[in-house]
Amino acid sequence: MKPNHHPEGYAEIGQQWARRAFNTMFWAMLMMLVLGMLGIASEYTSMGSAWAAEEAVNLSAGAPEIQTVDYPKIGFSSRSVVWIAAQMHLFFAAFVLAVPLFVVVIEWIGVKSGDERYDDMAHEFMKVSMTAYSITALFGGLLAFALFLLYPHFMGYMTRVFDTQMLWYALLFFAESAILYIYYYSWQALRYGNRKWVHLSFGIGLNVVGTSLLFIANAWATFMMAPSGIDMASGAVTGNIWEIMRGPLWNPVNLHRFIANIAFGGAVVGAYAGYKLLSAKTLSERAHYDWMGYTSNFIAVLAFLPLPFAGYWLMAEIYAYSQQMGITAMGGILAWLFIVQAVLIGTILLASNYYLWSGMSRTEGSLRYQWMIKYIAVVLVLGFLVWVTPHTLILRASEVAALGGSHHHLLGPLGIMPAKNIAVNLMLIATFLSFQLYRRSDKQVTVSWAAWGNAFIVAIYLIAILNIIFAGIYYGYFTNTVYKVGSSVTQVVSTLVVIVAGVLIDSFMFKKAKILPSVWGQVSNRSQYALFALPVAFTWLMALMGYVRSSVRTHWHVYSVVKDNSVDNYIPAIGYAGNMMTIVTVLFLLCILFIFWIASLSNTKQIPPIKSEGH
Amino acid sequence: MGTLIRVLGFSLGLTLVFSLVANLLPQVEGEAPKDEVIDMDSLDMDGFVSFGEAVFAGKGTCTLCHNDMGRAPDLLNMDVVKASQDRLEDHRYVGQASSVEEYLRESLVAPGEYVVVGFGKKGSNDSESPMPKVDAAPIQLSEFEIDSIVAYLQAKDGHEVTVALPTLPEEEESLTQPVAVPAAPVAAATAEQALAQYGCSACHSVLSTESPVGPDLRDVGSRLSAAQIRQSIIDPMAVIAEGYPPIMPTSLVDQMMVSELELLVNFLSNQTQ
Amino acid sequence: MMQRQKGNRLIMWIVAIGITVVFFYGLNQFIMSAQGLPLNLDLTPAQ
Repeated sequence: MKPNHHPEGYAEIGQQWARRAFNTMFWAMLMMLVLGMLGIASEYTSMGSAWAAEEAVNLSAGAPEIQTVDYPKIGFSSRSVVWIAAQMHLFFAAFVLAVPLFVVVIEWIGVKSGDERYDDMAHEFMKVSMTAYSITALFGGLLAFALFLLYPHFMGYMTRVFDTQMLWYALLFFAESAILYIYYYSWQALRYGNRKWVHLSFGIGLNVVGTSLLFIANAWATFMMAPSGIDMASGAVTGNIWEIMRGPLWNPVNLHRFIANIAFGGAVVGAYAGYKLLSAKTLSERAHYDWMGYTSNFIAVLAFLPLPFAGYWLMAEIYAYSQQMGITAMGGILAWLFIVQAVLIGTILLASNYYLWSGMSRTEGSLRYQWMIKYIAVVLVLGFLVWVTPHTLILRASEVAALGGSHHHLLGPLGIMPAKNIAVNLMLIATFLSFQLYRRSDKQVTVSWAAWGNAFIVAIYLIAILNIIFAGIYYGYFTNTVYKVGSSVTQVVSTLVVIVAGVLIDSFMFKKAKILPSVWGQVSNRSQYALFALPVAFTWLMALMGYVRSSVRTHWHVYSVVKDNSVDNYIPAIGYAGNMMTIVTVLFLLCILFIFWIASLSNTKQIPPIKSEGH
Repeated sequence: MGTLIRVLGFSLGLTLVFSLVANLLPQVEGEAPKDEVIDMDSLDMDGFVSFGEAVFAGKGTCTLCHNDMGRAPDLLNMDVVKASQDRLEDHRYVGQASSVEEYLRESLVAPGEYVVVGFGKKGSNDSESPMPKVDAAPIQLSEFEIDSIVAYLQAKDGHEVTVALPTLPEEEESLTQPVAVPAAPVAAATAEQALAQYGCSACHSVLSTESPVGPDLRDVGSRLSAAQIRQSIIDPMAVIAEGYPPIMPTSLVDQMMVSELELLVNFLSNQTQ
Repeated sequence: MMQRQKGNRLIMWIVAIGITVVFFYGLNQFIMSAQGLPLNLDLTPAQ
């Protein structure tokens, strides 16, 4: 008989291996499933096209030349219908893809820390997301019907190009739904120990499928902007599905949307937390939702910080693909849009910083950092003002004569990219500083090398800021265009260094730190409005960027391949577009309120009527 | 309930602020190029050059990059013919052109043949051009339009135009903005006649027609003085109304009679609706 | 004793800032040359 001194030891080791194996297996299985499906799709696509070529009926190999009369008319602007359907679908798709991403992380933190509150919060976030999932599908269906009805020739071309990939997209939703329902409804059944790892595997699977869906759909949009895998002169398909999908803009949009979804999702659940706090009836409820609000803002800000870099990569790829398209976006007719974007991002940064500063009142350890807040605020406001300064001013002829030109001699230079890059990067660093100060507020560092660590952090902030200003001014105003554009990468990387170094050094410095008590729930009601400002600004910003993305194609359905000859083939003025954005934002707000209400409704129990006795 | 109303109110209010910002900015629509008929019989070199100027700023989308922002050579502010001659003599030039006209045409349809120092794609050390081929999509200029741009670039600094005036009768030609109709031999008797004769309503909202291309003239009298209106007709490039493309024909000063000009200035000064 | 502490503090700051400056200088050189935009030693454009 084998000596067994620690029977539970062997069982525990067995369990560990079981859960690791299961985890890995599940993940690998799903990855292979998804990749396999896409791979098979490419096989069938090439076969499918061959079959299609045998049919002689009306199938021209190239792009359709659509005349104005060919477009169906429904007595209502077709573009508006598709605009609203598409934007609503994108709002909700972004939300339901984002939530599982951070829910899995929060759930994992719950396992690591053993703190039940994380698990409960993760579960609550998923509940909010479930209703949103249906609404996503509803708007998706509406969008598909609207597209096929109102733009049949364009959709005929797109389905010819993307072929069976579209079918696989639809089929992938079976996997998404199945895993989503299992993940949500098995929460309590797979709560502890080995089973918890199984549950986490489902969460990872959900995210893999969701991300695949995102990437597949992104290919349609990026193909319309920068087509690949086709003969540019005739529009005929020449490549396989991978060449069609992997256009120059695909991965930049993939990255940008992946990160932006997380920021957006965090902002929306933050609004949920803020609303629940304001309507909380007990102090413990307030504390619970205060903590939830903080976590949501944390997620939103953390995801928001790298977003400008992803957006920058996207713009750089657009410029590389077609300088004309790039300049239309930022130097031509759509240039003013980016001033509106500055207003929106200014709102986002100010709101999230204000929320962080308000939150600092939760711990006494924040008092030593209070003096920095006013400087951070100054940097944010100044940065915002520079960013919002236009290059071209709205002037009447007489004003131009008085000014001596169309550009102001002082403000003009502030209106071009080098100044704005300085402003943006400094604003991001200032926001990260708020973030870092908040995180330090409730800790008393005990490591021996704290002084050195702090010295390096301060040095990195200082030199990075100086580097950003130097690069912006010297390369921006005193060298040629290519160096000017290239220097913005150094600025961006400098900001990234501050963020990464700050997170890394702090994570080591906090080891064995003394945690000061935090009081949750006593934060001001006013601060919760920052949690509402965030999703409103994010939503409107998403709609604004969608307007840019679509307009940059000018009068083309598929840029330089399928011409848009509909009555709506012009780029609408920004006022009209702004009104459309407000419509979809309001619609989204109403749907979100509905979703929050449903989430609460599922918890509500009616008290059974008391049966009267003796009759 | 109070919470709901406050939250909704705040969110709606903020949304409306963003909407307001969008509506306060200059409102410009991006028109798609329209196909129009051009009368070949009455086309003279001046009209051809004006047409080229219109294509340069309109359908050709040249001014997107060729301006003073540093992305591409600032053609409007330099002597293009002289610069072309210098470039042809540059040791780096390896293209096929031997004359200014050929160089200009080559720059339009094969921009990669020769890249001016400092304007190449980033990282290509001026070996790749970021300029698109203008005869391919999405710009798709026709032979006629390309010739007219070459003619304009030669004429604008006072050099001789070597491009032959197209005389082959064409069924239809595409152009972005309608060219001003050449002057009739008899002077217009009223402002309304002059407006019709010079095709102002093609771009401007005036009398009973509307057009979004140029500034609205129905209230121009309340915006500009008579002197400013006169200047806008004689020298349209002196002051461009903000948010509008610089495409008003510059040939009116040569075509219009003094009496017609004064009729229009008087009429427009009283347009204060 | 205080003098030595203050001296140590000064050295600490000089070292921290010095290393950081060198790091960012190298970063600038690396990033610009990776984009095909080489710099001279004084950070002026080399093209």
